[in-house]
Parts: sequence; C-alpha cells; structure tokens
Amino acid sequence: MAALDNPSGGMLDILSGVNLEIKSAESIAIVGASGSGKSTLLGLMAGLDQPSSGDVYLGDVSMSQLDEDGRAALRGDKVGFVFQSFQLLPSLTALENVMLPLELQSSQSAENTALNLLNRVGLSDRLHHYPKQLSGGEQQRVAIARAFVTQPQVVFADEPTGNLDKKTSQHIIDLLFEINREKSTTLVIVTHDESLAEKCDRCLTLENGVLTNA
Amino acid sequence: MLKHLSLAWRLLLRDWHVGELKVLVASLVIAVASMTSIGMFTQRINYAMTDQAGQFLGADLLLKSPQSIDDKIIDRAKRSGLKITSSISFSSVIVAHDEFQLTHIKAVDQYYPLLSQIKTSKTQYGDEKSVDFGPPQGEVWLAPRLFSLLNLKLNETIELGETRLKVTAVLKHDPGQASSFMSIAPRLLMNRLDVDKTGIIQPGSRVTYLAGFAGEHAVRKQFEKWLSPKLSSSQTLAGGTEGSQAINSAMQKAEQYLSLASMLSVMLSGIAIAMTANRYGQRHFDQSALMRCMGASQKTVIQIFTLQLFILGLAGSLLGCLFGFLTQEGLIIILKEFLAPDLPSPGLYPLITGLISGFVILTGFSLPALLRLKSVPPLRVLRKDITPLPVSSWFVYGLAMSSLVGLMWWQSGQLFLTLLVVAGVIASVVLLLILSFILMQLSRAVLSVLSGPWKTGLQQIIRHRKENQLQMLAFGLSLMILMIIFLLRTDLITRWQGQLPDDAPNHFVINIQKNEVTGVNQFFSERKIKTEGLYPMVRGRITKINNVPIEDAVPDKSKLDNSLKRDLNLSWATKLQENNQLLKGEWWSSSDVGKPLISVEKGLAKRLKVNPGDSVTFKIAEQSIQATIQSIRSVQWDSFQPNFYIVFPESVINDFPVSFISSFFIDKSQKKQLNELVKQFPTLTVLEIDAIMEQVKSIMEQVTTAVEYVMLFVLLAGMMVLIASMQSSMDERVHSAIIMRTLGAKKSFLIRSQVSEFSMLGFFSGVLAITGTEMIAYLLYTRVFDLNFEIHYWLLLAGPLLSVILILFISQLYMKKVTEQSPLKALRYS
Repeated sequence: MAALDNPSGGMLDILSGVNLEIKSAESIAIVGASGSGKSTLLGLMAGLDQPSSGDVYLGDVSMSQLDEDGRAALRGDKVGFVFQSFQLLPSLTALENVMLPLELQSSQSAENTALNLLNRVGLSDRLHHYPKQLSGGEQQRVAIARAFVTQPQVVFADEPTGNLDKKTSQHIIDLLFEINREKSTTLVIVTHDESLAEKCDRCLTLENGVLTNA
Repeated sequence: MLKHLSLAWRLLLRDWHVGELKVLVASLVIAVASMTSIGMFTQRINYAMTDQAGQFLGADLLLKSPQSIDDKIIDRAKRSGLKITSSISFSSVIVAHDEFQLTHIKAVDQYYPLLSQIKTSKTQYGDEKSVDFGPPQGEVWLAPRLFSLLNLKLNETIELGETRLKVTAVLKHDPGQASSFMSIAPRLLMNRLDVDKTGIIQPGSRVTYLAGFAGEHAVRKQFEKWLSPKLSSSQTLAGGTEGSQAINSAMQKAEQYLSLASMLSVMLSGIAIAMTANRYGQRHFDQSALMRCMGASQKTVIQIFTLQLFILGLAGSLLGCLFGFLTQEGLIIILKEFLAPDLPSPGLYPLITGLISGFVILTGFSLPALLRLKSVPPLRVLRKDITPLPVSSWFVYGLAMSSLVGLMWWQSGQLFLTLLVVAGVIASVVLLLILSFILMQLSRAVLSVLSGPWKTGLQQIIRHRKENQLQMLAFGLSLMILMIIFLLRTDLITRWQGQLPDDAPNHFVINIQKNEVTGVNQFFSERKIKTEGLYPMVRGRITKINNVPIEDAVPDKSKLDNSLKRDLNLSWATKLQENNQLLKGEWWSSSDVGKPLISVEKGLAKRLKVNPGDSVTFKIAEQSIQATIQSIRSVQWDSFQPNFYIVFPESVINDFPVSFISSFFIDKSQKKQLNELVKQFPTLTVLEIDAIMEQVKSIMEQVTTAVEYVMLFVLLAGMMVLIASMQSSMDERVHSAIIMRTLGAKKSFLIRSQVSEFSMLGFFSGVLAITGTEMIAYLLYTRVFDLNFEIHYWLLLAGPLLSVILILFISQLYMKKVTEQSPLKALRYS
C-alpha cells in the first residue's frame, strides 16, 4: 500500500491491494485517469519511493530491505528512466546528458557508448546541441538514449509521449520498442496514449489506486 | 572522492556559462583580492612607518637605561647581525669665557648614527652639511644657542668637567633629538672616548645609557621580541611605530578605513556568494534528483558538489590572490615616494591567508545551500513540488556569521571595529526590514491614487511582497555600504586637507623667556607672521595620584608610560585651546583663577585611570603642588600647534620657572627672518618642521589616492550583490514578461511597466539605503574616526536617484531579451 499524510488528518490511501508481477523482457502499460495513482505506482516500482506497507522486488532484491543509497545503487545498476518532461539537464549538451549515468558509475567508455546510442536514435548530427536548441521529439530521443545507455534490466517510462504531437509520438513509440527489443529490456510504461498501450504485451488499468485487470 | 573529481570538473565546466557561477567566483575574487591587497599593503605601510621612526631616532630600535647596558643584550644583537651604537647622555654645566651653561650632553661612539645623518654648519645660521659620524676625539659640536649664551666662536674651547674640548661645528640636527624634542637645555655632541677624561660620571650620577640597533626587519622584530620581556621598569625600548604624530594619526585612520573597506567588501561578497549559491543550489535540485535517480548515492552527490565548491574556491582564491598582489603593487607604486625601496617582499604568507580566507568565506556562505542538494528526494523527477527540507536557519546564519566575524577579525586585527561593523550591519538589516514593511504598507495606501503602468508596477511589487522586500533589503544594504564608504572617504580626505592648510604652522619656537614675550610678539606682528600665540611652559613631574605614589597608583600596563618617567610640559590657560575638545567635567571660570585645578588630556587620563575629582600631585622645581582634575579634554596632536597634557588655570604655577612656546608659519622666501629672530633673541630655539610638514602633506596625498583605489573593491563587491539579487528574481520576472508578451502585451507597455516597477523598487531601496547610511555613518564618525557628523542633505536626493538608475540598468541587462526577441524565441530560451 502507498499512503500519504492527509492534511485534514489521518492517512490518504493512494494505492491499495496492488499485487503485480512483471516478467523479464515483458512490456507492460499502466493506464488510468489522472490522479488514479499511475505515477505513484511507477515511483514505487522504480524504488524512487517506499510503500507504507508491502514490498517491491526487483529481481530477487527486496526494496524495503535497502536504505535510500542501496536503492540508488540498484537503480544505477538495473533501471533506466524516460520522463514526460524529458528531464534533460539544461546546462549539458545532448551527448553530455547521455554520458551522465555512465560518468556517475565512473565508466571509462562513457563517450563511445553514448555516441553509439545517440547514433542509434538518429541524433548523430545534434550531439553538441543543448536541450533548449532541440525540438520536443529530439529531446525525448536523447532521454531514450540516456535510459538505455547503462544497459538496464528495466526501463520505466512516465508518459513518454505526453508532451509530443501525434506524429512525433508515433516515432518515439517505435523507437522505444525497437531498442527495447534489441536490448531485451523489461519496459514499464505509464500512459494515457492508447496506441502506446496497445503495443505492450500487457495493459493494466488503475482506478482510484486499485488495479482492475492485473 | 577523487574518482568523482573529473565528473565534478566536467559538470562545473558545463555549468559555467549559466551565469550565477561567474557572479559567485567574481565575488570570491573580489573578497580575496580585497583582503590580501589590504593585508599586504598595511603590512608594508607598517614596515615603512618603522623605517620612518628609525630616521627620527637614528636607529631602528633605541634602548634607554639608567644603568649601563648589559653585555648579554649587546652580544645577542651582535649575534643576530644587527648594527649597534652605544652612547651616553647626561646633563652638565659647560664653561667658556667665564660663562656657565647647563647643557644636555650626548657622547656617541664611532658608529653613531646608524640611520639618517647629523647636520652641522660652520656658522650659527650658515648652510647645513650632512655628516655620517659624530665628532672625533677631543672635539665637540654645539647647538646654535650655546654660541650666543657662551659668547663662543668656532675653534675655541670649552671646559667640561676636568677636560677641555675644541668646538669644531654648529650642531643643527641630531637624529636622536626627536625623542627629546622639547628639552630645554641646549645640546652638545661629543665623542664617547672623551667621557672618562671629564671625570663627570661617578657612581650615582644621573646618566642615561643608550643603545641603538639597526638591521633587517625580521631580525630586529625577533630581537625586540626577545628583549622586551627582559627590560626592567626603568628601561625603555623605543622604535616600532613611533614617528611623527601627524603621520601616525593619518596613517592610523587610513589603516582603519582600509580595514573597514576590506571588511565591508568581504561582507558584501559574502552576501553575493550566499545569494548566488542559493540560486545555484535551487537550480540544481533537478540535477541532484536525476543523479539520485540514476543511482548516485547521497554521498556521491555531496562529494560532486563539494568538489565543485573546492575547485571554485581554489580558482577564485588564487585569482583573488593574484589580483590582490597586483593591486598591492599598484598601491606601492602610488606610495613609492613614501615607502622605502628595499621593503621586504610580501612573501608567501598573504597567499596562504588569501587561500584560507577564500575557502572560509565560500564555505561559510555557500555550504548550507549545497548541503540541501544532498537531501533532494529522487521522487522529484516525477513530482516537481517535492523540495528538500530547508537547512536550519541557525546553521545557515550561524555558519555565515561566525566565518565572517572570524575572518574580519583575523584579517584586520581590530576586534572593536569588527564587532561594530557586524553589529551595525545586523542592526541595519532589522531597521531596513522594518522600513521596508512600512513602505509596503504605504504602497497599498497610494495604489488607488495611481494609474497606468505605475499602478501595474506597484501592483507587481505588492503581489510579490516577500520577494521584493528581500530584494529591497539586499539592494538597500549594498547601496548603504557603498554610500557609507564613499561619504567616509570624502570626509576623511576633507579632514586631512583641512588639517594641513597651506598656512599651517611650520616652525616652533621654544625657550622664550618671560621678559622676551613682548619682544617676540612685537617681532611677529611687525613682520605680519601668523603665530598660534605664545603658550607658557613649566616643567613638572607627576608624583602622586590621590595621595598614592605614582608607582602604586597606576595600572600595571601604564607603569612604563613615558609620561611618568620624565618631566611633562605643564601650561596654564584662561580659555580652552581651539583644537581641544572638552569631554568630561567643566572648563574653569574667571572665579577659578588661582585655584589648584587641572585639565588632563584624555589619553593620559586613560593611562593613569583618572577622572574629574581625582587629585594629582606634581613636583615642580623641587616643590610639591597638588591639584584637582576639573576636566578631561581631547587634543588634536596632529595640528602642529603647541599642545599640552596638563593645563592649569592662571596664577597657580605662574611663579615657577617658565618659558614660552609658539608655532608660526613662514614660507621659504621669508626664511632669512629666522636668522633675524635668533639674532635678536639669541637664547630661544627655532625648530624647523617645514620639511616634515611637506613630507606629511605628500603622504596624505598618496594615502588619499590609496583610499580611493581601495574603494573600488567595495564598489565592485556592491555591484556583485546588486547583480546577484537581481539574478535571483529575474527568472520569474522574465518568464511572466514573456507570457504577457505571448498574450498580446505591447512592447511599449511591457517596457513602461518594467520601468515603473523597477523604478519604484529602486526608489524604495534608495530610501532604505539613505536612512541606514546616515545612522551607521553617525556611529562610525563619532565612535571610530573622530570626525564631525552632519546630515548629508544632498544624499536625500542622490541616494534614491542613484538606486533607481542602477536597478534600471541591471534589470535591462536581463529584460532586454524579453522585449527584443520574438516571444517564441524568448520562451524557448527562458
């Protein structure tokens, strides 16, 4: 269960009775109305937050047994992220943004790996552009390259097409799934976009914090 | 930690172009440059002052002792590599042509003087010749007055005790005479090897043994440190910073001003650093959350930001040291006429202190902002509303305040000034906060009267009341500091210039006898020479305070005070002297004539721990006289006018042996009138101080330039705070302006409302600044700099106007892109 301190007193349940298992290399979509708890569920699964009760396992590692730094290490090792608002650092170029997760792991081949992935997402001519010099679609492609650069086991995507037009969205969806297949990564997507949800192996619906078709 | 160094470095490089880091480093550079340059400069000035004192004393250090000087001291000085001269001084009667005269005799060895030169001439009023050594054996040199008193001519002989010595020169100037400037007896210089032949010095004779030392600054400092604790209470060591009182006083004020300017620039830089670090921290919440999301531990995040802080600190401090060194070299060039050419180089010490200071100030002001980055939750990547808990205010302000006070005290060595500045700034912040609150309330009241862009501007200010109040505070505070520094500089310089007007007295005349007073006055008035009047002078020594012997009555630290060991020049007066100021008690009235009352100079009163109502006993011409302190007064020692520690009313000491003193001005072309004066009144002594005056004037001019130079630091640091305070609020302002433009607001409307908003913000800040300025200036003028305080009325208009202009100028640097670029471009780049 995930709960929140309710300002008017007591606790507010955001998610309850969620029981979910995702297999390796599976792609799943979590859909639901705004405020249904999709992003909270994603945050819990990715170890960005802790449930008030219950547990989350990544592989055979229990998240609740780890402290915040332990979860951070696990994320660095096994998880990649794609966000609705891209979350690129404005002071870094496209190449530097993609290199960052590897640099945090003190990887010696950060630049080459990042170059390969940027090439893969079709941005080899935009390597040294800053985020503000890139279109929304281009920024999300940089974010996808960054998510896969550490070769994670799971990629969590929070509304990856939420800020993009239909045509660009389609292109981003295709790219995300192509790379996912190539790398055999588990993909968890929170989305409103039905066309995106349809491409996943499984689609789960959240209603008021409860999974209705898990 | 080091494995993150290259990442920290790369992230820092990538962040560099964003802007606030440049302000942060620039502020750090200014703070360190200001501290190191002023530190190095004052250190060198102190060396120069010591050298100057050496010229007056004829040695860097002068040891005076009533017993012969211990061989251990001489041996130690020799081993240290110091040059040494030994001499003896005593009073005795000399005889010539059956005339007797009490004379102050100094017997010197072949090394005297170690510094400066002796000036002699062949006639009483003839051209001077500088010589490096004293008289050879068998010869003496006499003060001009002795020639008249004894009807002597050159090459005649005098009798001194059991020997006869030949007079071979007129003694015009002896470097050691500064210490006995006002001694009544005329001087005689002889060779030390002749002393035994005179048979004068017997066990129990009153003799002063003198040892002069000269050498490298560091060596003599060490020697002084070794010697000082070994001195008995009857021995004195002169040197260090002794010199002309006028130079000392001006230099002391200049040093205080420089310290104050340095402290304020450090404080302003600290504020700018805190503001930019805070903005930097806030802008990096997302980066920190993202790094945590990508697997960085809290430790890694804080290590990366700490390393960045370290790199910035190192670069900023090194650059600051470099600029500080260059600035200091510039100051030395400005003051080259005053400073000795072979000053020791500043060495590595200022570099080390500069580095330490840089890190202390950077850590003290920016660490709290960076520590917040450690606790940014990774969930922020999904929910922007999550911010890290603020660091405790006690920690933030405590750290900033303690590093600031520690640094200012360490650098200036002036605790009182440090505490005064800190207390002043805290009080100003409270005052400015209250004032800004009142201004905000008033703004609401006038809102209904306004229309158009002025109304929009004021509404904007009221809408963001909290942020604007803070901005007004930062802006007002830095403007206030700039204005204080400017006013103080102007008033100090005016005071220095006023202190030495072109016709300031440049000659003293002493030993005027009672029967010569009318004649001397007539001499001056006939020749239209401007004098400061004739002041009576009676020699007397303090023996008791409140009937307790002086040795027991004064505090321990005053026991060695010179004023207790020698005769003081006592005077009497009906009116308070023009440049004196009554501090405690009352000046006497006509009914007090003949009553045993005294007025004491404040410095002496403080050293003797006496107040009005206390009684002081004097020994004058072997008689005791007791007087009650009626008042304490301050004396302007640097006025070049006769000044006295102790003054009586009329008819109390008038019957004791008295001579008179006066000071007067004559220019170079009238110099020959001095000869006429001495010919007409052969027993009086004229002291020519016009050369010293010229030197003082030139030093004043150079110090003035230095003071102006240093003010630049405060100005730059102030500008940094202004820019930092604007930067912190500019993101939001730019963003709202772009949205307004997108929604159809015309460029002219935006410009008008921006101008009105910033003008009002500037006006309010200006009002805060002038109010704070006048209050702090009052305290500084009256408590630290001893200046007369008057309200600066012109500032009432100039302050707010300057503030409006500055704030409009800086805001335009940011707002330009909103009004000049297309809304789309502006939106994308905002």
